Amino acid sequence: MNAAKSFSSRLAGWLPRIVVAPSLLIVIVTVYLFILWTGVISFTSSKFVPVYDFAGFEQFVRLWATPRWHTAVANLFIFSALFLLLSTGIGLLMAILLDQNIRAEGFLRAVYLYPMALSFIVTGTAWKWIMNPGLGIQKVVNELGWTSFTFDWITDPKMAIYTVVIAGVWQSSGFAMAIFLAGLRGIDNSVIKAAQIEGASLPLIYRQIIIPMLRPAMLSVIVLLSYIAIKSFDLVLALTNGGPGSATELPSTFMFSATFRRNQMGVGAASAIMMLMTVAAIIIPYLYSELRERNNG
Amino acid sequence: MSKFLASLVAATMLVPAAARAEGTIEVLHHWVSQSEVDALNVIRKDLETKGFQWKDSAVGGMSGANAQQALRSRLTSGDPPGAMQFLGWEGPQWAEQGVVRDLNDLAKEGGWREALPPQLLTFVTSGDAFIAAPINMHRQNWVWANKKIFDDAGIAPPKTWEELIAAGKKLKEKGVTPVAMGDEPWQIGIIFDALLSDLNGPEFYKKAAIDLDPAALSSPEMTKVFDTLREVRGLVDDNFVGRDWAVATGMVINGEAAMQFMGDWAKGEFLAKGLKPNTDFYCFATPAKVPTFQYVIDSFGMFTVKDETVQKAQVALAETIMDPKVQKGFNLIKGSIPARTDVSVDDFDDCAKLGFNERAEAIEAGSMLGAMTHGFAAKPEFASVFGDVAAQFFVGNMSSEDAVKMLVEGIDNAR
Repeated sequence: MNAAKSFSSRLAGWLPRIVVAPSLLIVIVTVYLFILWTGVISFTSSKFVPVYDFAGFEQFVRLWATPRWHTAVANLFIFSALFLLLSTGIGLLMAILLDQNIRAEGFLRAVYLYPMALSFIVTGTAWKWIMNPGLGIQKVVNELGWTSFTFDWITDPKMAIYTVVIAGVWQSSGFAMAIFLAGLRGIDNSVIKAAQIEGASLPLIYRQIIIPMLRPAMLSVIVLLSYIAIKSFDLVLALTNGGPGSATELPSTFMFSATFRRNQMGVGAASAIMMLMTVAAIIIPYLYSELRERNNG
Repeated sequence: MSKFLASLVAATMLVPAAARAEGTIEVLHHWVSQSEVDALNVIRKDLETKGFQWKDSAVGGMSGANAQQALRSRLTSGDPPGAMQFLGWEGPQWAEQGVVRDLNDLAKEGGWREALPPQLLTFVTSGDAFIAAPINMHRQNWVWANKKIFDDAGIAPPKTWEELIAAGKKLKEKGVTPVAMGDEPWQIGIIFDALLSDLNGPEFYKKAAIDLDPAALSSPEMTKVFDTLREVRGLVDDNFVGRDWAVATGMVINGEAAMQFMGDWAKGEFLAKGLKPNTDFYCFATPAKVPTFQYVIDSFGMFTVKDETVQKAQVALAETIMDPKVQKGFNLIKGSIPARTDVSVDDFDDCAKLGFNERAEAIEAGSMLGAMTHGFAAKPEFASVFGDVAAQFFVGNMSSEDAVKMLVEGIDNAR
């Protein structure tokens, strides 16, 4: 009786570990082992197939001597910063406007959220046509009579990355709106009433009270959108395919083409490691501060 | 009842048993469009008459890059397909890894080396080994032109690039888009490859695009190539971003644009509309003193496998592919011309006949060249640098001198 009890209690202690073990093993192999393998490859002279020699930092030197990589890194920063800023800003504004007890709110909410249901491939292809000067916005405006109007960013290597931002923001700001709206509904009305009694104006209430109270929602939006920004490989592929020239190349598209299309497996691995380092430089301080807060709390 | 059931079972088992009498071969390739599949059926049917079954493994997309990835994982897990479609350096590179079957006995017996243009052997042999059976040959450096537009403007097919550009400017003044194309690097690369050899001769092409000779890469001749490429840019409309090559061909067919630089896969678009060469549209090589034939071939390589029935099937497949009859049937559908030079030109259209003739001349004149943009000159790590520079130059406003500098640095960095 006693033995059986200790067995069942021991099982109860082990059960979570047993249940988690297979998925843990899969994650270790498919994620961490391959990160390690990519790291190894980045220090070899691999080209067409992996070779296991030691080439030092040769591939990293080569990577940073490639103009396309510089374009890709600059684009990642331009794209992520603008994408985060605009999606969050527009999302917040739409949420506040929708929160004013307007009619048909449910319908409007669905309209704004709907782009999120599309895949980036669809968004990219549609915006490719919308922004093509001979098919889309420019042509329509010109035909309406404003013949000097031009909107040809997608053909201009200097401006093309902003077309990716436009398409990305269009898709994701509704999503930010939905999260902010949920956050707004969670705010206690009595706080706002109290502020109104004190004589605070509406803009002041929003600026000083409501938006600061949305901090948890803001954090979720930023985390989720940054992750969308970093993985936005398919959007670029469908919208511009890295062009014109290589003006809209991102690190992810660079890595793919170096590894699989250009016989530069070592350079591709080096670029993947650079991406990992960049993400780690942002995530590790964040995790550190989060964990410390939790330990203190 | 049980007798009936038994005979029924026997009957259903008989059919596949008969079909599998000799063996099955799995073929990994990236041909998925209708004409490609129809052309493959010619090979498949001939293979079936020899008693072998073709097991289709088509992985489309990314110009074959997806199929390459599929192959990598199959090879790593020790389960290679019986045969694989090779493009460019893929065959020789896999052969260096020691995974490709040597078909030299078959090649000697069948006189394959003699039947193929000598320039092509780089991509189907590796040392003494014969590693792949080439089925077809496309030519990359064609110009496809709308004959009515040319006639209305009083323009004949140009004999030099100066004439071509002058004709383009004349058409532009008349409000016709002279050149239809998209901004994809490979579409720009087709023009760049043509200019390399057309302006400076096939020897220069070999030095620059195959030997990667630093002197040739930084020469004034290279600057001239970029200067001319800039002039071609002036002949393209501003809406070329993201335009598919077939859409550009459609513009020539509809009379929106006068000409397109494209490989002979564009011919199918004209023929599908019922248009006839030299009555409705022109096909001619990019203009040069020595016309070049920039080839693109598809070949099938066989992997080393243990299964003896698959080994037999590999022999049968290789022989089928190298059969002049099969090459003819295949290429009549695919729009290319046979890789073998001894196939009769009857039944082919006028453009293909012109291709046959100019190929024979090019082999003699030494102007039979692998098309760099499709992987048949420099290895991919270098060819992609040419492609990057040409594409960035074409869509932006870089000077020719800067482009040459970028090219030299890029090639050195990839060495």
